[in-house]
Amino acid sequence: MKKIKTIISMGLVFAMVASLSACGSKASESKSSDSQTNDTQTETTQTDQSQVDKTESTEPVEISILNSKNDLNQQFLDAVTEFNKTYPNIKVDVISTDQSPVEKATALYAAGTPATLCMLDAGDISKFKDKAADLSSEKWVSEVPQPDMVDGKVIAFPFAVEGYGLIYNKAVVDKALGTTFDPSTINTTTALEDLLTKIQNAGVSPLIIGSMDWSLGNHFLALTYANQPDSDVSTFISTLKAGTADLVNNSAYNGLMNMFDMMMKYNKAKDDPMAVTYEQSIAAVATEEAAITFNGNWSMMEIQKSNPDGEFGFIPVPISDNASDKGNTAIAVGATKQIFIDSSASTEEQQEAAKTFLNWVVYDAAGQDFLVNKCNIVPGFKNITFEPANSLAKAIVEYNNSGKAIAFAGNYVPADHWNVLGASMQKYLVGKIDKTELAAEVEDYWKNVE
Amino acid sequence: MIHTNRRLKRMGNKLLFTGPAIFSFLAVVILPFLYGIYMTFFKWDGISSVKPFVGIKNYLEVFRDYDFWTSIALTFKYVIATVILINIIAFILAYLVTSGIKGQNFFRTIFFTPNLIGGLVLGFIWQFIFNNLLVTIGQKYGILLFSKTWLGDENKAFWALVIAAVWQYAGYMMVILIAGIMNVPKDILEAAKIDGAGGLSRLRYITLPLMVPSFIITIFLSLQRGFMAYDVNLALTKGGPFGSTVFASMFVYNKAFVRFNYGVGQAEAFVLFFLVAAVTLLQVSISKKMEVEA
Repeated sequence: MKKIKTIISMGLVFAMVASLSACGSKASESKSSDSQTNDTQTETTQTDQSQVDKTESTEPVEISILNSKNDLNQQFLDAVTEFNKTYPNIKVDVISTDQSPVEKATALYAAGTPATLCMLDAGDISKFKDKAADLSSEKWVSEVPQPDMVDGKVIAFPFAVEGYGLIYNKAVVDKALGTTFDPSTINTTTALEDLLTKIQNAGVSPLIIGSMDWSLGNHFLALTYANQPDSDVSTFISTLKAGTADLVNNSAYNGLMNMFDMMMKYNKAKDDPMAVTYEQSIAAVATEEAAITFNGNWSMMEIQKSNPDGEFGFIPVPISDNASDKGNTAIAVGATKQIFIDSSASTEEQQEAAKTFLNWVVYDAAGQDFLVNKCNIVPGFKNITFEPANSLAKAIVEYNNSGKAIAFAGNYVPADHWNVLGASMQKYLVGKIDKTELAAEVEDYWKNVE
Repeated sequence: MIHTNRRLKRMGNKLLFTGPAIFSFLAVVILPFLYGIYMTFFKWDGISSVKPFVGIKNYLEVFRDYDFWTSIALTFKYVIATVILINIIAFILAYLVTSGIKGQNFFRTIFFTPNLIGGLVLGFIWQFIFNNLLVTIGQKYGILLFSKTWLGDENKAFWALVIAAVWQYAGYMMVILIAGIMNVPKDILEAAKIDGAGGLSRLRYITLPLMVPSFIITIFLSLQRGFMAYDVNLALTKGGPFGSTVFASMFVYNKAFVRFNYGVGQAEAFVLFFLVAAVTLLQVSISKKMEVEA
């Protein structure tokens, strides 16, 4: 009896130990497979390994890509299938996440299993500069109009070009005006106010402001940095850091905030501005409850949920009555999602395979089809002739190609900019602080940035 | 010789059964905790390969960080409000559903249900209530209090969080207090009744003193949950409007993972740990003294 007991307990212990060690080896074996609830990870392979080994001498390479546009997970999986038709020897794992991309990338690095290709928001790329491969000599660099450099090197691949401004619903505006509306006629604040009054007189709410901190902080307020008449974004930010930018007397800042005052005056939700969520602001424009809102071309997904066939376009955010001021006829456009290749933990072969994948996206017809037609992304490469199908993306391409684009200043700011100054903008939106106090908060933020 | 052998064997037996649990506890609680303390002495953004040693500079920064202490103060205010409200309401509910009213088992279930809803889901439900439902009702019937969203005002957003927390935990604490009420010996109550004690004095002098052990538990739990509040905070207000409802947990999280200041964030987490530990230990030791025996 005693013997049996001993055997049973020994067996149990063995089972426990075995299950523990089994977990351990699994974690280290399967690359980057942590099971966050909001992650979707799928392995895709087209190749039968033994067959490949027979036919080709090269070993199959396994790479992974961190996709931070979670809604494009399926498109990425399909793209890998297409990619493997040409390159059967490169196996690509797609890790899609809707977590903050830096958080996810950091977690993967901490686990010692970084993704070979890592898609991040543009402003975060430089944090990874000591881990990113130098891509300066890649062929596609020549197709990018203005490649972003870190320390004089190109380390990131511009995956998606995005832009923002005042989104208008064509049907509503045309109906209010009685004619076809031409957005290029709006090049001064007065012209915009005329338009807003006309829409209001036609019985539609002219405008709705979404109260999201990321939108107000990193997109709207950041227009101040992009609208500086005689300096670019980085130069102006360095004066802010040095504390020498005098915002209260800065014409672009004042013009932009006057513009915001006007937007607040015509705001559909001016009685309760903080209640407007992203979804509500977009739905209001999509369902013709309001004519205009401030946002970017990524909103098209949300618009199409309630109005799949509507036509939409962009109006620039004018900051003065001088039609020749730089931001009055231009919208903010920039490569917001960028991909870098990890060089710290990935082998030479993996890095080469990753480069092959990026080249495939830019130069292979199937790759271009994936980028533009399947993902509805505005490509940042001159050689790609496909045009995106939706009206907001088309508008971005038009503004960009005709040179009517200012910098996407949100790409240049620290990671907590939206959080801190978004809150300041919200205070302004509900009238808790005035222009001077807001300017002080902005200056204060920049002085304390490291 | 036999003696030592026995001891070794006993030791082996102990390890055999507690070993796996001890191992897991060390691996997922103690080690990360110690490593966390170690990390407070470095300056790190979470990504960079260089981690310069900065000594106690991070702690000095914690004490200089005005925003951190603001969020701690706000958290204390929240804890005081929720602990008082949760326990009072939980006691009233418990008293009602043990008083023999019709369908009391049904009510027990209903009051407990909110606790089964996860914090994030609960946050979104209340966000809908405060942002849409109450506003619609308020505007339709001209109730000034509800005609604007509560989440757009600093004070009301704070009380919105308190309401959501009370709704979530009152039912849970009620269950613990019901057990406490049931344990009050019937003979003492009966004796008091014969001696002429009315309902209120029976409650005041017999039921409540005998329920102190239950209150120790409910106050401890509500204290600890109040200090650690994160999920409802995130789902209901996201710290807004304009960063006015950022509780300590969220502040620490943002410091480390949004602003990429791991060293200081970790140091603040450590300070928070000490505060919570001190407050809860103090509470338990004080209320232990209030326990009486029948």
